[in-house]
Amino acid sequence: MPEITGYAFPNDIHVHWSLMIVMYPYITGFVAGSFIVTALYHLFGKNEFQPVARLSLAASFCFLLVAGLPLQLHLGHPERGLFVMITPNFTSAMAGFGILYSFYLMIVMLEVWFVWRGEIIQTARRSRGLKRAFYAALALGTYDTSPQALEIDHRAVKVLSAIGLPSACMLHGYVGFIFGGIKANPWWSTPLMPVIFLCSAAVSGIALLILVYQVTAKLGRRVIQADTVSAMARWLWFFLIITVTLELLEIIMLAYENSEEWHIISPLLTTRLQFSFISMQMIIGSLIPFILLFIVTVMNRYLHEKVRNTLTVMASLLLLLQVFSMRWNVVIGGQLLSKSFRGLRSAYEPHLFEREGILVAIVLFVLPFVILYVFDRLLPIEAPPGAHAPDPHGDAPPAAGVSPAA
Amino acid sequence: MDEMPKGNPPPEPAAQPAQAEVSRRDFLARALRASGGAFALLAGGGAIASDGERYDWEAHRWAYLIDTEKCIGCGSCVRACKAENGVPDGYFRTWVERYLISPEASHVDSPNGGMDGFPPLQTAFEPTKSFFVPKLCNHCKETPCVQVCPVGASYRTKDGVVLVDGKRCIGCGYCVQACPYGSRFISPETHTAEKCTWCYHRITKGLKPACVEVCPTATRQFGDMKREDDPVRLAIAHGRVVVLQANLLTEPQAYYLGIDMEVR
Amino acid sequence: MEHARHVFRVLLVLLLVIVVVIVGRSFLVPKSFGMYGNYRYDNVPEQMAARPPLHGGARSCADCHDERSAVLAKGSHARVSCEVCHGPLGRHVKDGDVVAKMAIDRSPRLCGNCHRKIDGRPPKFPQVVFEKHVEGGLGPKGCLDCHDAHSPKL
Repeated sequence: MPEITGYAFPNDIHVHWSLMIVMYPYITGFVAGSFIVTALYHLFGKNEFQPVARLSLAASFCFLLVAGLPLQLHLGHPERGLFVMITPNFTSAMAGFGILYSFYLMIVMLEVWFVWRGEIIQTARRSRGLKRAFYAALALGTYDTSPQALEIDHRAVKVLSAIGLPSACMLHGYVGFIFGGIKANPWWSTPLMPVIFLCSAAVSGIALLILVYQVTAKLGRRVIQADTVSAMARWLWFFLIITVTLELLEIIMLAYENSEEWHIISPLLTTRLQFSFISMQMIIGSLIPFILLFIVTVMNRYLHEKVRNTLTVMASLLLLLQVFSMRWNVVIGGQLLSKSFRGLRSAYEPHLFEREGILVAIVLFVLPFVILYVFDRLLPIEAPPGAHAPDPHGDAPPAAGVSPAA
Repeated sequence: MDEMPKGNPPPEPAAQPAQAEVSRRDFLARALRASGGAFALLAGGGAIASDGERYDWEAHRWAYLIDTEKCIGCGSCVRACKAENGVPDGYFRTWVERYLISPEASHVDSPNGGMDGFPPLQTAFEPTKSFFVPKLCNHCKETPCVQVCPVGASYRTKDGVVLVDGKRCIGCGYCVQACPYGSRFISPETHTAEKCTWCYHRITKGLKPACVEVCPTATRQFGDMKREDDPVRLAIAHGRVVVLQANLLTEPQAYYLGIDMEVR
Repeated sequence: MEHARHVFRVLLVLLLVIVVVIVGRSFLVPKSFGMYGNYRYDNVPEQMAARPPLHGGARSCADCHDERSAVLAKGSHARVSCEVCHGPLGRHVKDGDVVAKMAIDRSPRLCGNCHRKIDGRPPKFPQVVFEKHVEGGLGPKGCLDCHDAHSPKL
């Protein structure tokens, strides 16, 4: 039984939204964040992002495939999960999930298809048997790789990015809305919530891509593009500043207005969330990466490549922690306070082995990388030299080292 | 969507409240037996239930009144609710809170929801006023829990009762988060959301909710807003009543008398 | 447009998927869903018949125990339903037959639920500090030494 300080409504002592609901926005955050990076290249012509454009699209896709799992695992009746699609109640923020998710999945799948279509066809052409059948099916039976067709692909990718970016933002903004729209809970109920979720999604997405890019480049023995790293660091810094500003604004507003809510939120932050909010989210997760990225951005010219890489990697790792802490503090923190506004529950500690436990959370985090690895085996993420042109290396399979998650 | 039987006729209205003329004993024997569909209003109307009893949900709009100045904190209502509805241990469809207040300090508790009564309590301050407040689902008109249910498992009936369809509930817990009053919980037995139903299985048979039935001081009263002379309706219409957390505009249908500002 | 054939193909596949999903979904919506609102109407009768009522109310007890009820009606416990102290009728009678003896709790704890002096009770409500109420503490039968539970006048 959890300890209660003060008075909590007797039903309020249970944390129904567990670690899985922390993982859910964390993973969808990667989806949206990665897509923003692809869009920066395809849509906004940021050519520094060219080396990670395909990687980020693939990452967005792989995380998207996993995004629904934590929700499913958390349901009291997982077998009824599809009811959300069958009898959706559209006044519920959660019902939008089915539709937004499917729509976004469709967009990303289409974009993946158009980006990799040329290579799918080439692989189909030079394979035999089952493999050929598989790629031929993937190519939907049309083998048109004429320059005109590839130009159409190119335009399609652009259009899909243009549709995908708002969809990704909606998908993740709506996750924030799920919390922001709960007027019963003072720690959640703020219109800032979707915006904060969105910005921190960009942070987590870019941070993750920096890490994956560096790791895959190292594994593939490729040169890490300095331009790409510093551009990503710059954008990461930008989104970090916006995110932390908004996170702080929310609290400062509450404190300054000195509303009824503040009298329960203030002890929540300083006692129950002292470690995860003040230490993790604000100091280790925000202040330190801010300084690291400040150095990378402002003193870019003077930095040795290795130093720059190390600093951005460190900052990215810390920011992954920051975003996780933020999700934790929102989801779990909001359930530690009772709606009586008079009581706080003792900290929630997930178990290692349970359906919604730590081990499952780790699996959920690793799973997208496994999928990414499989993805890379089927559709090599690293574009062959002179993409869209016939592969000079004949039917040599992609080297195992190219895989991002080996 | 289109093949839903929208055109089906609604259940036929029953002329008067269910059991009025039936002998008490007969009625009870029947009521206690009626676990099947005897009293059910059948989807699609038409069919008459085996014993002719009909319940017309358009003829009622239920409301609940809690006169806190009468509450003695005996906990009978909490015990009755647990027994009547098989509420799992540690979860509450209704509970009683104790408020001890002085101008300087306040203390609130509800040991085991008031189920075992209240032990004497020493507080660090000298309370200048103290009282009990029974709580239950407010059956709000603008209910946030129904609003957020993603699958339409939570709904409000025409007679003003908020219910959960245990066969459609996916157990996501969103309604639990959305209820400002802490009235809902995810049952560890059914893994679906559960809450006070105002004893829908009783009120549709002309009985009162179990908590009202056993309340020895008439703190808890249950009435029909569609009956002009209903005591609860009269009290709400003429008395100075409040609802909990009125600022949230959930329009609760459980009204309180004699409540203090310390109560949320 | 001959080079856009693959675009049409992928859109066709998409359309097919969407149609399958929409058609498939329509088979899975429960019959009474949406009759009166965005919920399954069949649940209303289900809720009405969710369980047989367990509590019968005081008057139902009088059907068999009218002598008790008469005593009770004259005393200060007139408004206290039998089931407050004895528990729900449904545990005693099922389908008109007695299935178990009614619980009788004679302990002072039961009386204390209402009459032990604690903060919170309306001051006018009769309540006592157990330790001070009887000199030398409660006797062997507790409160019932002096009070009749059904008509607890002194």
